[in-house]
Amino acid sequence: MKRIGVFVCWCGTNIGGVVDVPQVAKAASSFPGVVLATDYKYMCSEPGQELIVQAIREHRLTRVVVAACTPRLHENTFRKTLERAGLNPYLLEIANIREQCAWAHQKQPGRATEKAISLVRRAVAKASRLEPLFASTIPVTRKALVIGGGIAGMQAALDIADAGHQVILVEREPTIGGKMAMLDKTFPTLDCSACICTPKMVAVAQHPSITLYTYAEVEKVEGYVGNFEVTIRQKARSVDHTKCTGCGTCWEKCPTRVPSEFEQGLGTRKAIYVSFPQAVPNKPVIDRRHCRYFAAGKCRVCEKVCPTGAIDYQQGDQLIKEKVGAIVMATGYDLFEWEKVYGEYGYGRYPNVITSLQFERLINASGPTGGKILRPSDGKEPQSVVFVKCVGSRDPAKGKEYCSRICCMYTAKHAHQVLEKLPGARVYVFYMDVRTAGKAYEEFYLRTLQDGAHYIRGRVSKIYPEGDRLIVRGVDTLLGRQVEVGADLVVLATAVVPSRGAAELARLVGISCDQNDFYTEAHPKLRPVEANTAGIFLAGACQGPKDIPDTVAQASAAAAKVCALFSREEMAAEPTVAQVNQFLCYGCLECQKVCPYRAIEPVTVSENAAGKKIERTVASVNSGLCQGCGACTVACKPGAINLKGFSNEQVLAEVDALCL
Amino acid sequence: MRETARQLLREREVGLVIGYAAGSEAYWVTPAFIKEEAQADRLVWNPFCVNSLAKYLINYHHEPYKVAVVVKGCDSRALVRLLQDNQVQREKVVVIGIPCLGVVDAKAAALKIAPGTRILGASVTDGEFLLQTESGTLSLPRGEALCAKCRYCENPTPVLADTLLAEEVAAEPAANIYAEVREVESWPREKRSAFWDGHFQRCLRCYACRNICPACTCRECVFDQTDPCWVAKAHNLSENTAFHLIRAMHVAGRCVDCGECERACPVNIPLRLLNQKVIKDIKELFGVSTPGSRLDEMPALGMFATEDPDEFN
Repeated sequence: MKRIGVFVCWCGTNIGGVVDVPQVAKAASSFPGVVLATDYKYMCSEPGQELIVQAIREHRLTRVVVAACTPRLHENTFRKTLERAGLNPYLLEIANIREQCAWAHQKQPGRATEKAISLVRRAVAKASRLEPLFASTIPVTRKALVIGGGIAGMQAALDIADAGHQVILVEREPTIGGKMAMLDKTFPTLDCSACICTPKMVAVAQHPSITLYTYAEVEKVEGYVGNFEVTIRQKARSVDHTKCTGCGTCWEKCPTRVPSEFEQGLGTRKAIYVSFPQAVPNKPVIDRRHCRYFAAGKCRVCEKVCPTGAIDYQQGDQLIKEKVGAIVMATGYDLFEWEKVYGEYGYGRYPNVITSLQFERLINASGPTGGKILRPSDGKEPQSVVFVKCVGSRDPAKGKEYCSRICCMYTAKHAHQVLEKLPGARVYVFYMDVRTAGKAYEEFYLRTLQDGAHYIRGRVSKIYPEGDRLIVRGVDTLLGRQVEVGADLVVLATAVVPSRGAAELARLVGISCDQNDFYTEAHPKLRPVEANTAGIFLAGACQGPKDIPDTVAQASAAAAKVCALFSREEMAAEPTVAQVNQFLCYGCLECQKVCPYRAIEPVTVSENAAGKKIERTVASVNSGLCQGCGACTVACKPGAINLKGFSNEQVLAEVDALCL
Repeated sequence: MRETARQLLREREVGLVIGYAAGSEAYWVTPAFIKEEAQADRLVWNPFCVNSLAKYLINYHHEPYKVAVVVKGCDSRALVRLLQDNQVQREKVVVIGIPCLGVVDAKAAALKIAPGTRILGASVTDGEFLLQTESGTLSLPRGEALCAKCRYCENPTPVLADTLLAEEVAAEPAANIYAEVREVESWPREKRSAFWDGHFQRCLRCYACRNICPACTCRECVFDQTDPCWVAKAHNLSENTAFHLIRAMHVAGRCVDCGECERACPVNIPLRLLNQKVIKDIKELFGVSTPGSRLDEMPALGMFATEDPDEFN
């Protein structure tokens, strides 16, 4: 007979304020197999855990039920408690009487107590059928892949590499640096963005432990934590970088000019180009879509002028396979495409309505105007600049419901910069709220107000041209009246959205996204830098809008997680994986088709049937790949697949305990 | 058919031909397992060849020789089911397809045909089945005698065949295929519940529906397992209902709508109605065709596609 101990937690008043905890313990003491049922204020605390350890020893408990909060929070805590007392950690069952009971039924304490008792009965029924499970170990490849070479990816790569591990950094653009390299100054300190970003880019390129693939994309990810196999597509640069010296003759002579992505369309680049003078690597690629030779078959000017013969029009894409143990997602953000939905702001038809990222280029000393604020339509200095915040953010009707977090601060910075560079200019900021949660942020905003920026609380309903100016019509909700402001330049603070292709990449890598396609963290509070697939970590704006300090902090956190994983040669694998009863399996392999982790493979077994030796196909689970999701157990009609720790027998016992 | 069988056996193309032979009454046929050329004359084809022969193939899964099997359109879907479930290897089967104009419901025919009658030949016209017997030609009006499953036939011509023994028959547009399901759906819940309770109450739990089903090929069926005990052995409405619902869900997305379960049921439980409800729902949810109609379209519930609707996200 199993000797089960039941430990009911008050969680202070979280559970105890609603559920009659002593009564739950009393009821539990009569359940079959229960030899001890007791309660305590905070079971997860040191004395609470000690109580469990002592009880296991004193009452020779063989199974433990803890009725407390969700297992996502403290299952591991209590497993360790069992281990300390000498029990197998998987002989623990949690009854969630907080999230699924006390919190949900605060208004009905009596019925909540009844439900808590039922939940404990279920847990006891399962506990009596628990079997010890043993973690196996899997080897760890101590090499990390970082996807995305913006500030998040660079920081993560540098931190991991500095800890002594190999890092592969993949960036799809021709240069690393990401959005930060485009910015002029960073709030609230106003230090030059390039001055702190480009040294990092150089550090990445020069680090002996970092292998950099720019103009490359991750094409395929196979394997599992510690043992990923990644295929990287190195897109054809049409330039042999082993020969190229980056002298720049080719892009000087190239006859084709196209709008520059780096300049956000405000400047031009050539068809053979480096994105900006400080690009890393500082060697060009040919943009085949716009190159005259690739389009019309004639030109080859770059080939003629190249002193080293580095131009290679025949160069094809290359597939590179790498084995890595961990992956850091650092794919960053893009700006919401406001032109598609904001008709009242002109659908992008007015040249003097620009985004804040375009404004960054406009005010940047290395930008298309050399740092002079000149409006795009005629190159005149604007006398009146209007900033519109929350374009696409906090607008569930047309854009996104969420707050993009960074716009309040960079708009305050832009307002400050306009007032500084154009003395006498008027600056208006239309806002819904000013959110300045951050160290020295509020102070910065107040300084901008003191500089003379006019903050108008209200949304803008229309922007339309009048002569060579724009009229911005909005509402001032504090004065309760319509306002119209004449503007030479309008800057829209557009919402931050995940970078293009983020959702497809998530599917390829095997992690999930939220409804806005930001990558989902394993736990919003306790595991904010881990994806819900083991071995994959999140850094920066791909997980949600973030400013640079938060991005760098998260990147370093992700790197720390990677280093923890790499601290051992082998890691313990979760033993709660699926297992096939090959006798029952009839080889339909539906389990293989529904497995999202590609953890099931067919194997051939031999057996005797009616005196004859036959071979047949059955399913087999790769326990390294299996994440224990249970999809296969549901697909398996004869019930040949069991998830360890959630076996058919155990689950049926739970159902019986709850329903009979 | 006999000639095809003889030729396949003569040339050692196959070791066995599974077809139909005359049964003890005119309106019954029995499966025939022909291993020798000389026995091929036992094979028959007439409007009473209602039963599906595809599932017999799994008994020969491990034999070294190939097996030929006679299939109608609906049976060919069953064969696709077995192929998709890896219960039959395509390269070990020769499929003899018969485009079919509909078969006769044996229970309806039994009322019209005197015991001991022998059928010499048969033909099918638009309005009737014509049977040549020793005592003259007997006519069965199509409206009365046609099998329920043939009223709306999606695949009169087999979806899969190595040889076709007749001209292809085009499928009629089957708009009203789920009319009966819609009728039951329109009932209030109490009426539906009473309807099914009434039927399940009568279930003998003989498992004939399972045994004949081309989608039921487990080595050990869950209903035979005792540990865990999914369904108790007690014969009562509760356990009977559990049996029928589990059976319906185990073939959900896989049932090829061959109607064999309903034909095999000794107490006339309308099992096809239950299956069709599930087929209809899955078609509406996932936009798939009737299972078994296409070898390259896997069961809707047996796939993982990233485009699948994910209402939890």
